[in-house]
Amino acid sequence: MEKAARGKKDIVLGYVRSLGTQEHRSMMETAYVYGSKYQFILITGGPVLKHLGVNELSHSSRVWFLHCRVHSGFVIPMTCPLTLMRKPLSTLSLHSFLQLMEAPLVSEVYNDPSSVQPPQFPYQQTPQVFLFSRPTTAHLDLDTATTLAWRLRGLALLLLVHRQSPAVKTPDEYNAAYRLPEKSSEVKYLTLNDLDEVLELFTNQEREEEDEEEDEEEHSHFGHLDDEIAASVYENRGDLLDMDSITQLTSDNFHTAVAQSSLTVALFYLKWDAASMAFLSSFLDVAEGLTDSGVQMSAVDCGEWTDLCAAQPGSSRPIPFRPITAFPSVLLLRPQESAQHYRGMLGTEALHRFIMLSHPASPVLLSTQEEVTSFLQEVPHPKLAGYTPDRVLGLFETHRGAPLFTEAAKSLRGEVLTGLLTDGLAEKLAAEHSVDLPAVLVFPSWRTHAHPSALPVSNSAEELLSHINTALLHPLPELTVENLPSFLSLGKALLLLFVGEEEDEFGRRQNQVLVEEMRGVVELGGRRMEPYLACWIHLGRTPAGMSVLGSYLGSMPPLPALVLTHLPSRGEIYQYPPNMPIGAPSVLQWLQRIEDGTESAAGLLGEDSWPPAVKFYDFLKIMDMQEPNSAQQQTPEEEEEVDEKEVNMEEDVLEEATDSSSSSPTPNNNPHSEL
Amino acid sequence: MDSNLPCFILFILVGCVKCSSEYHPHNGTRHYDYCVLGAGPAGLQMGYFLSKAKRDYIILERNSGPGSFFNKYPRHRKLISINKIHTGRQNREFNLRHDWNSLLSDKPDLLLKRVSSEFYPPADAFPLYLSTFVKELGLKVRYGVDIGRIRAVQSATGRRYILTDQHVSDYTCSVLLVATGLWVPHKVEFVGSDLVEGYESISTNPEDYKDQSVLILGKGNSAFETAQSILGRASHVHMISSSPVRLAWQTHYVGDLRAVNNELIDTYQLKSLDGLLEAHLDKIVIAQRKEQGRTRLGEKKKEKKGQLYVTLKKFLQHQKPKNSSDVTGEELPGYYIDNFSLRKPYDRVIRCLGFRFNFSVFDSSACPPKSDNAKGRLPKVTAWYEGKNTPGLFVLGTAAHSRDYRSSAGGFVHGFRYTVRAVHRVLEQRYHSNPWPSTKLLTTQLQSWILKRVGEASGPYQMFEVLGDVILLRGSHCEYVEEFTLQALPQFSNLSGHEVSDHGLIVLVMQYGKKKIDYLGPERTEGDWTKAWKSNFLHPVLYYYDTLPTEEEMKLRPSGWALPRPKAIHHMVEDFLAEWDSPISHIQPLRRFLEHCVQTDLRAFYAESCFRSALTHRKPPLFCQQGYLKRRGVAHSKQPWQHIHDAGVMPTEQDAGTSVADPAFPNCLAQAGASKSSGLKLDS
Repeated sequence: MEKAARGKKDIVLGYVRSLGTQEHRSMMETAYVYGSKYQFILITGGPVLKHLGVNELSHSSRVWFLHCRVHSGFVIPMTCPLTLMRKPLSTLSLHSFLQLMEAPLVSEVYNDPSSVQPPQFPYQQTPQVFLFSRPTTAHLDLDTATTLAWRLRGLALLLLVHRQSPAVKTPDEYNAAYRLPEKSSEVKYLTLNDLDEVLELFTNQEREEEDEEEDEEEHSHFGHLDDEIAASVYENRGDLLDMDSITQLTSDNFHTAVAQSSLTVALFYLKWDAASMAFLSSFLDVAEGLTDSGVQMSAVDCGEWTDLCAAQPGSSRPIPFRPITAFPSVLLLRPQESAQHYRGMLGTEALHRFIMLSHPASPVLLSTQEEVTSFLQEVPHPKLAGYTPDRVLGLFETHRGAPLFTEAAKSLRGEVLTGLLTDGLAEKLAAEHSVDLPAVLVFPSWRTHAHPSALPVSNSAEELLSHINTALLHPLPELTVENLPSFLSLGKALLLLFVGEEEDEFGRRQNQVLVEEMRGVVELGGRRMEPYLACWIHLGRTPAGMSVLGSYLGSMPPLPALVLTHLPSRGEIYQYPPNMPIGAPSVLQWLQRIEDGTESAAGLLGEDSWPPAVKFYDFLKIMDMQEPNSAQQQTPEEEEEVDEKEVNMEEDVLEEATDSSSSSPTPNNNPHSEL
Repeated sequence: MDSNLPCFILFILVGCVKCSSEYHPHNGTRHYDYCVLGAGPAGLQMGYFLSKAKRDYIILERNSGPGSFFNKYPRHRKLISINKIHTGRQNREFNLRHDWNSLLSDKPDLLLKRVSSEFYPPADAFPLYLSTFVKELGLKVRYGVDIGRIRAVQSATGRRYILTDQHVSDYTCSVLLVATGLWVPHKVEFVGSDLVEGYESISTNPEDYKDQSVLILGKGNSAFETAQSILGRASHVHMISSSPVRLAWQTHYVGDLRAVNNELIDTYQLKSLDGLLEAHLDKIVIAQRKEQGRTRLGEKKKEKKGQLYVTLKKFLQHQKPKNSSDVTGEELPGYYIDNFSLRKPYDRVIRCLGFRFNFSVFDSSACPPKSDNAKGRLPKVTAWYEGKNTPGLFVLGTAAHSRDYRSSAGGFVHGFRYTVRAVHRVLEQRYHSNPWPSTKLLTTQLQSWILKRVGEASGPYQMFEVLGDVILLRGSHCEYVEEFTLQALPQFSNLSGHEVSDHGLIVLVMQYGKKKIDYLGPERTEGDWTKAWKSNFLHPVLYYYDTLPTEEEMKLRPSGWALPRPKAIHHMVEDFLAEWDSPISHIQPLRRFLEHCVQTDLRAFYAESCFRSALTHRKPPLFCQQGYLKRRGVAHSKQPWQHIHDAGVMPTEQDAGTSVADPAFPNCLAQAGASKSSGLKLDS
């Protein structure tokens, strides 16, 4: 990236600890404004940080300015010079930082420092440093000034004062001066022996600030929540959740409540569990959308109804689920049936869809052609209009062969629509799709009904389930936040294409062509492509993908970008040459080169270990400091001493045969206390 | 012990199997796997657990009903164990924290509140409650069996206990659970101790004390209960014992003087003729004044005849007849010290010194030694309540209080109901190979589970510093074992049947601060979580060990500590409401401690963050692994939500199979993304 930009554009490299933060927004807003001028790069971690010497555990966001544009008169070194923004990241500070980067490195003046104007907008908050130049050493002086200016960049503006000018009144004993913002416009004069002294002057100041910052950080380390879910729940602590729309299930009303409704959806939560509370508000949203739908939305506060959540029957009636040990948990309860666990995303959309899809029986018994047609074409609930569910049909000669399928269908309830056909109807459909009975036809949402996948009936329900699930997976998926886990679980390397947001029809078509090329790769590759999952991410719909790409390559490459990542047991990430058009044969050749080891990696995946982000508060250390020995193991001798002391204390009690109530209590020495 | 134990277990197991088949009703000998001695609260509590586990057991009781001690005691018929019915909570486990009388069972309403709604219930309510407990749970109790002799025999099938009753019938059992309580009045021998009345036999009618000067020996709850009942009738009530009064609200020990009984402190401090004194009882002498022949007022002297004087042993003149407790004037302290506190005589001296364990029924082969503490009134037991040197004999209930004498609640119903359960779990593991019940948890759920226990668990709350939860770390999951006896921690694997992995373990203990402070003063609480270790009130403390502590480490633990110095410790700052669930003060510091113990980031992440880390790392953080990757990611909740998907992002269905953006994908995200991506839209 740096190489690509060198000589053309300066780079603004931002590191934010997570997306969606205020700092991230500031970065984005600025990028929007300055996007044409600078190359913006956003990272949230990865090797670049290490390269820049930043501890990834550090919590503050950072911005660097990479001076890659050719500045007239200066020689650009091999890597672009780097300036770190010292102030905390905000839109405003970034703004002024960028402007400061535009300021001339060294300005030459012919006035006395005292009469040089304080810096003008937009630099009014920036200190000025004056160095003096004599005609005899003019060239050398400028070099010195430039060197210092580079080191002061972002901290102060450097002005070179030409002493030969009659306006310069500064006595010769001084060779430097500076002026701080805000503190009047007084100029302070110095005699320097070394340039580092100036530097020290400003870096010291900055260090002080940094110290303060660290203090703040230390403080925030204690006072602020660093868990994003806990933090967002905490932020909304002022909002009262309206629990009226749902039934509160208790140990006392559980059985009656469940018996009352054909479907009860129960959320088991703990008030102190942030994920529970974050999901509770989604759950309430769903409940609101389901009023008068016949579904009883309910919640169990497991901090209160501990025996219900532990599935301990208070009465003789059994509890239809196993003890809840993970929170939040959602169960679908139907009278006289064992509970079904909801295993989808903990979000409004997903839960709502699941409840809607679990309305019809699973499997539905289909006995007429019309029912089959309707099953395959109609949405099971008007609220799901626009959504295309996955469907599975079981074709059996009689009901006898069906239990396996029925069992599988039961566990698919809510995720997939399942139907069961027998007898003549089954034979007819089997013939249409030229399969033999018994058979299972899978109709993934992404394919038309004309071409289902036919599966043989397996030996076990689990096997059948996994076949169905595999058949439902798209061969060239667009990865989204919601579906990524299903594809990652395949354990394949990802041949991942990143495409940008389209502005117009043309862009859309372009992206479509790219995806078609990917399909070409899969088809052309055939069996060779088996270890790979070709997939793509649309950065417009899945903006989280941006930082993924940034972290892969250390910068944002031009789009589209094709990478190979998640190779089994390897951390390398390969980037398809950005200047090469994406075409099936060349992608395959590139893959071959990677397999042969002739391609070099563009990046590395992060480690799989996640050490604690923040150090724990070491009470032992503090005890040892504040009360030495109080937390130390005793030595055997010490113990004996204690015993002796007790004996001694007993001795002098007798003398206290007065009513003095001030006599010292003797611990562990009460022969007459009662039980 | 370690090497012998498995062998021993084997013996016992073989024994049990064999024994249960050789049941001989003739000869007056009956065999049971478990004999429980005593149908008091501890015996019945054990009976419940044995019955629930369907064990071969019998509860033997010499009286005709359960809890007979309470038919007589406390003499003034008011229990001082609180029966708090209204807690504002429905959590049954939590409510047990404030119900000090009920026993544990799986019947949610089998609680003392059924028979009494009073905060301090009448004593008669308790035997009534115990009868209900026996009846409803169908416990096997044999009444009227007075065991007079207990001996142990060692046979090829293992050690057995033989119990002989008043009819010389024998009961043999493999395991003997002694729950006889403490009922032998504790007496101290001193000169004149025969002149003293005992708490067990005094009149409880205040009128009998009218205008009398009374000296009470002892400063415990029975002494104060007695004092309180006669306060309105007696002229003087003085109380004497070796140590000053210890107030339960200062010591957090319910065996010390409860505020419900402490009226005499008031009248003492307000100088109303009552008083407290300290002296060793074996140094004092209670005596009657010897007649010295110079009597002129015969009648008056007669009146004075019954009066009792207090003197000190050192003033007694030698060569007294052994049983004579009459003293001369020269032997009274007032003769030497003119303002001696006890210079005036008393009409009555009452002994209220509590009770001791009845060691007399145990043959030397079966007799547990006397404990070092509690002046030898209690048997000495191991950390799992087995008699020292009497394997297979366990002591339950009040008699087992030597483990936590004067420190926790093991001598009281609300404490020993949990230690009885712990003993039962030891039995199940040792004799039936059923490991302690445990809950397997995902490591990401551990924090919530700890908070749940801390917020409701009654066992560790009552039996603070004695029972604690043990969390066995296993990497991505952990095993949660509740209410283990802390002092037995070095023996954890043996006793519980759970192995400790090299991930180590965490022990959760409730404890009070150890500092003596002004208990009502302004400095009595700590609110800053970073100073949580200075908490004075009951608060949760977590100890992290990488391996089980050894016996030696346990012995040399820091003074005042329940456990040895751990690798890391975490105090959760005390809380006024005793609800440890504040995000900043309680939860986050706990999480960071747990993260340190498991060396893993345990934060929760939204699905989007998990998506990112799943793609940029070989594995995402644990929370994402256990949630998101299992397709259970947490979506941002505060998103506008559209039911109907705005099609047209991409051309939809194509038979060729072009993928469609997941139509369920919230449209709003795409919109949100648009602004985000604009700045980054590079050369595309």
